[in-house]
Amino acid sequence: MKILILGAGQVGSTVAESLVSEANDITIVDTDAEKLRLLQDRFDLRTLAGNASHPSVLEKAGIADADMLLAVTQSDEVNMVACKLAASLYNTPTRIARIRAADYLGHPEIFNTDNFCVDFSICPEQIMTDYIRKLIEFPEALQVLEFADGRVSLVAVKAFEGGPLVGNPLSYMGKHMPHIDARVAAIFRQDRPIIPEGGTVIKAGDEIFFIAATENIRAVLKAMRRMDKPARRVMIMGGGNIGRRLALSLERDYQVKIVDRNKKVCEQLAGELKHTLVLCGDCTDENLLASEHVADVDVFCALTNDDENNIMSALLAKREGANKVIALINRSAYVGLVQGGKIDIALSPAHVTIGSLLAYVRQGDVAVVHSLRRGAAEALELVAHGDRQSSKVVGRRIDEIDLPKGATIGAIVRDGKVMMGHRQTLIESDDHVIVFVINKQMIRKVEKLFQVALGFI
Amino acid sequence: MNLISKILPPENVILDTDSTSKKRIFERVGILFENTQQIARSQVFDSLFAREKLGSTGLGQGVAIPHGRIKNMRDAVAAFVKSQAPIPFDAPDGQPVNLIFVLLVPERATDMHLQLLGELAQMFSDKSFREKLQASNDPAVIHQLFANWKA
Repeated sequence: MKILILGAGQVGSTVAESLVSEANDITIVDTDAEKLRLLQDRFDLRTLAGNASHPSVLEKAGIADADMLLAVTQSDEVNMVACKLAASLYNTPTRIARIRAADYLGHPEIFNTDNFCVDFSICPEQIMTDYIRKLIEFPEALQVLEFADGRVSLVAVKAFEGGPLVGNPLSYMGKHMPHIDARVAAIFRQDRPIIPEGGTVIKAGDEIFFIAATENIRAVLKAMRRMDKPARRVMIMGGGNIGRRLALSLERDYQVKIVDRNKKVCEQLAGELKHTLVLCGDCTDENLLASEHVADVDVFCALTNDDENNIMSALLAKREGANKVIALINRSAYVGLVQGGKIDIALSPAHVTIGSLLAYVRQGDVAVVHSLRRGAAEALELVAHGDRQSSKVVGRRIDEIDLPKGATIGAIVRDGKVMMGHRQTLIESDDHVIVFVINKQMIRKVEKLFQVALGFI
Repeated sequence: MNLISKILPPENVILDTDSTSKKRIFERVGILFENTQQIARSQVFDSLFAREKLGSTGLGQGVAIPHGRIKNMRDAVAAFVKSQAPIPFDAPDGQPVNLIFVLLVPERATDMHLQLLGELAQMFSDKSFREKLQASNDPAVIHQLFANWKA
């Protein structure tokens, strides 16, 4: 596919990096020639320096041939204008824009074909906020991701010494919780994937990904780990885009404190947030943390725009006794270093949000993509189409499908009903199939499997 | 006469000298169908792209058979484009294509339409037929090749 990406920031470059390896033809436009040079040194793509909403720049970048436009510059306005131009001047089939301002998002009609012609809008800050909210709702989870309009969830947990499942084979899970249908999709032991089988014995420290109907995940978590007490007190460092949204989303259900060092920002926050305590101060100031009783905090979120500050303040909070600490980290190299040490969860915004873009870019009817383990693994929701002749999955039992080793069908959603993927389950047309892929290299093969053959009309 | 020649009017066989991408080809046939069959070009374009998203219609050996359903259409209709430039089409053999047979069928596809696709697949798997198509640059001659083809 020919894809034109506008903006070589975090989102643009991460998505470019992930697409380059998938046999796509990519051009990326940014005003910053230096940023582009760095990208071009690392990846096989075309770059162009210039203003991304100017027709002459778009033309030079090859928009007339592009199958898709990803407008992900820092500016909502540039992104919207680019989509509009792509539609009216260049007939670009698919147009996606990053839109940040809640004011625009509150008026979805702005995006329709009579106006700015944005087929899909994504808001990374909102995706991050929803993601962190889930982690607060389920304090024992490392990750909680949803499929099929929230009907199915994929949850990652760490098995710990003394937990109910440690030392037992997976087949024990069924006996241990006979009334709940859940599937273990993958286990990562010391960062290496293990393909789960009935006889696989869970060890302390294992990272377990399981799939279940969303209404069952609390019960499964309870069986896997001693239930942590539900979170009540949340402390947020940094009142930027994500911190502010998160406080707004949480303040009715939790006791929320938010800290920012900028007085103006604090005044604004205080005006906007009705039930949140707004504090002005430095997030790495241990006196401040102590006087605000960080020891009693259930979840501590360091969400400033400075990686080092986030790491330091999360480490401090953990040492002072905060129960679970989350740090936002932009540099992907740091994420791997930090996660699983003293800091419970290290979040890379680029990796959390990239899935929402990948779903549109992938070939086939892909409803949802979640990038996992910093891009090394992936979970997808694919829609099956066709019949036994035109499809390689429809009309077949799961054990008859030629899935690459390391890809598992975790669940199927048919007419809104969730079924776990068992060997004998027969796939029907229009099923939403949730597939867990432990290695990025297999994704193309899985995608191909779900594509219809020529004979599908 | 085979099934194909009944739905392929002579004026729907064209040589394309300037398209270099799938998107441009689809635009070109959109305009063609708008002029010859009065089907809105955007309808053709969207329908072909929507089908392509579900899986490539590239056949391999330089051939693609993009197709789509069109609302309120009575009978199937086709066009054939021979492009000068090779067009990336994500075909199974990984090779770009330059023989592009476009098929539009009514919203309610029938067995008849499957038969059409079957005949096309058979036609294009015929090596000497492909070679004749590659050898000619005259739309009238190409149309004759389709009309005279026998299984």
